Amino acid sequence: MSLLEVRKLSKRFGGLLAISDLDMTVEEGEIRGIIGPNGAGKTTLFNVISGTHKPTSGDVFLNGDKLTGLRPSRIAGKGGVRTFQRSAMFSDFTVLENVSIARHLHARESLFGAIVGTARGMEKANEGRALEILEFIGLTAFKDELAPNLSHGHQRALGVAMALATEPHILMLDEPVAGMNPAETERMTDIIRKLRDEWNITILLVEHDMKTVMGLCESITVLNFGKKLAEGVPAEIVSNPEVIEAYLGSEDILGDDDFAA
Amino acid sequence: MSAPEEVANTGLASATALRRFAPLLLLAAVLAVLCVLGFELRPYHRELAIVFFINVIMVTSYRLITTTGDWSFAHVVLMGAGSYGAALIAKHAGLPFGVVVPMAGITAAIVGAAFIIPLLRTAGFGFFIASFAMGELVRLIWVKVQFPFGGTRGIINIPSPEIVGLRLSPPVPFYFTCFIVMLAAVFIMWRLDRSRIGNAWKSIHSDDLLAECVGIDVARYRSLAFITGAFFAGIAGALLAYRMGSIDPRNFDLTTMIYLIIWVVVGGTTTFWGPIVGLVVVTIAFEWSRPLLEWRPLMFGGVLIFFLIFLPGGLESLFPKVGNALRTPPGQQFQRLRTWFTTFASRT
Amino acid sequence: MDTVTLIQTLLNSVVASSIYALVAVGLALAFGVMKMANFAHGEFFMVGAYCVYVLYALVGLPFPLAVILAIPIVALFGLVAERLIFRPTRKNILAGFMATAGLAFILQVLAGQIWGVGIAKSIPTPYMGAADVGDATIGWQRLIVIPCAFAMLLALRFFLYRVKLGKALRACAQDPEIAALQGIRTNRMTALAMALAGASAGLAGALMAPIHSVTPYMGHGVILIAFVVVIVGGMASIEGAILAAVILGFIHTFVTTVTDNLIATMVGVGFMALTLIVRPQGLLGRERA
Repeated sequence: MSLLEVRKLSKRFGGLLAISDLDMTVEEGEIRGIIGPNGAGKTTLFNVISGTHKPTSGDVFLNGDKLTGLRPSRIAGKGGVRTFQRSAMFSDFTVLENVSIARHLHARESLFGAIVGTARGMEKANEGRALEILEFIGLTAFKDELAPNLSHGHQRALGVAMALATEPHILMLDEPVAGMNPAETERMTDIIRKLRDEWNITILLVEHDMKTVMGLCESITVLNFGKKLAEGVPAEIVSNPEVIEAYLGSEDILGDDDFAA
Repeated sequence: MSAPEEVANTGLASATALRRFAPLLLLAAVLAVLCVLGFELRPYHRELAIVFFINVIMVTSYRLITTTGDWSFAHVVLMGAGSYGAALIAKHAGLPFGVVVPMAGITAAIVGAAFIIPLLRTAGFGFFIASFAMGELVRLIWVKVQFPFGGTRGIINIPSPEIVGLRLSPPVPFYFTCFIVMLAAVFIMWRLDRSRIGNAWKSIHSDDLLAECVGIDVARYRSLAFITGAFFAGIAGALLAYRMGSIDPRNFDLTTMIYLIIWVVVGGTTTFWGPIVGLVVVTIAFEWSRPLLEWRPLMFGGVLIFFLIFLPGGLESLFPKVGNALRTPPGQQFQRLRTWFTTFASRT
Repeated sequence: MDTVTLIQTLLNSVVASSIYALVAVGLALAFGVMKMANFAHGEFFMVGAYCVYVLYALVGLPFPLAVILAIPIVALFGLVAERLIFRPTRKNILAGFMATAGLAFILQVLAGQIWGVGIAKSIPTPYMGAADVGDATIGWQRLIVIPCAFAMLLALRFFLYRVKLGKALRACAQDPEIAALQGIRTNRMTALAMALAGASAGLAGALMAPIHSVTPYMGHGVILIAFVVVIVGGMASIEGAILAAVILGFIHTFVTTVTDNLIATMVGVGFMALTLIVRPQGLLGRERA
């Protein structure tokens, strides 16, 4: 059984068919990239899988469980969690508090418990795990900083840390290196690889930076106009004439200039 | 360790201890003063203090709801649900004060739970006006339905409060009753504010989509905040019903709701204590303006507009500035005041 | 319900729908442009009614002239509210909304202090007599509301779809940023929207002055209905507001005829709650992407 299965998925916005009849599977332990020209439906696909948007038709399964129609919080509970293209964070809180709040699923508290304060021990364990995650992501030094004071690269890393705090099976990264300088990009790709190798988390990512995608992903799905155009290992994708066609005839889809932005 | 070093260390330790315990000392002092006042105040001022305690519960519970980013316009009506609940239970079931008050809270919480079902579909401004309409619906029911709500006349002859044979209705015992209920309610809400649940509420205000994606059930936590706030508004309503002995729909009209908003806006909602500070300041100003009775709404309408435009963070946003000023030598303070005036002048 | 009552109720429904539409259109228009939510909209209605009281009942101008004068006067109130309240609080919708609640207080007190709080102002009915429609009769005073409201709404529609300034206003309502890039000045548009909102609320108040009881607090009931209409219609949608005004006008009038005014208002609010549950974006509101 595949970890993630997308069956005949369609999403319509008014007259626009953002995803049409899409089938896709992701195996446990993969690092899968999703690419495609602007407006191909990549982010919409993320939104539908994570529950932010409801599909018009079709289904999504995670570990055999049907996710269709569930709210994002329920999907996070089943182990599917996403990050955002923008720097998303709880801006009134410190870095550590942000990660701590994101451990909500593993640190539930009852009203009574909150008033009486029965959850002290649990909160300790919870904070310990949050610190572990920050250490892994490399944000320990900033743990007491207010989240909006972080640099752009660190804010994006915080987004990943918060997603990890939910203890996901599959992590969906929406343009994880967008707007990062080369050093930050390097660090982020290292983190992503380690997440798969050491933490056993399956990765699904949307990214415009082709160099990163080709270097990081073992398999790639290409979307165009909401349909699957091609799927395979990076070498196959690069030499696929249809893919090259879709990218407006650019000779080499590794050409940075078209995609870095 | 040499002697002078030791002295310096203890000095430092006591300074940090002072800083840590200063708020507690302040709180203890305020509570002690309020206890003494319970015996010493003149009857008119004691009545004022009782209303003040009830209003403290109102502003604190209102602020609890706003931590999720939902500004309700139905809070005073929910208080009314508590008042009506308390009046009917006390009158017809003859239950004692200690049972009636929590039951009034539960009544308001149930009404709140019914409100929140449609309100969850709205956010921001939509939430505001839809909650206003829902509140009016309930108020119209009180106006319209003779039995058991008594129509426009409301409910009269609410039994006086009693607990295990002890009469709470004389002014001094009732002062302390309200004082204790207020303390308990504020303490519980303070604990909630600082708990994981409180953080979940604030995270929804900050970024509801992110909160949902990291596993916080936004609909559920918004409902929880609204219903918890309604519960405490109901408690306040029960105290009000007992104090007045009779209630009618006009006690819970739009004007009262706008005053609640004025208290909260003047104080600010970012900190737990902000709304209470706002309540204190506006209550004092309200008393001073007694000679100008009919001009009052105009004045406080003006105050509301002034705060929203010039001090949108409320009085609490001045706390850190006051703290800084206390720590700065007077010479620098003067300098700062001048720069503040020039920037203020250039802004207006 | 016999035929006479039915015809009478139908006519009254059209009158109510016209007034609701006039009031709600302004609210929806202002909300569409830069999310200006005006709590004092009911007080604008009240000011419109007081204009007729002063100009017609006290000064003795002809009724139509008093009504026409009420339009620019209340539009001016809209302009002032935009400049003094909405512009400084543009970053925060709720702040603007709450500040206009303060404005509502101020206008109520001023009206009460100038013309007295107590009993409703009596305005002699300018158009006596009634029209016969089939077997039913309906007062002329009510009947003239319909063409006046239609004229105002048609004029507004012509302005928004045919006149350059009105098109700019619609562009600004659709996407303020893009409109600003095209050189449309946001400040002018917000001022224009509030002036139009004031004008339509003022006209509604002026027309209703001889029918409604004129008191400083008459805005309260108006704003409740206006909010309900705007939510049902879809917040910023003008067409939605008009459609919802017609639906709620009929519901309110029919329920009033069968039972009473209070129950009719409750049914209206209940209808709003139901709409929110079934169709949160309102009848003609756009789905949030």
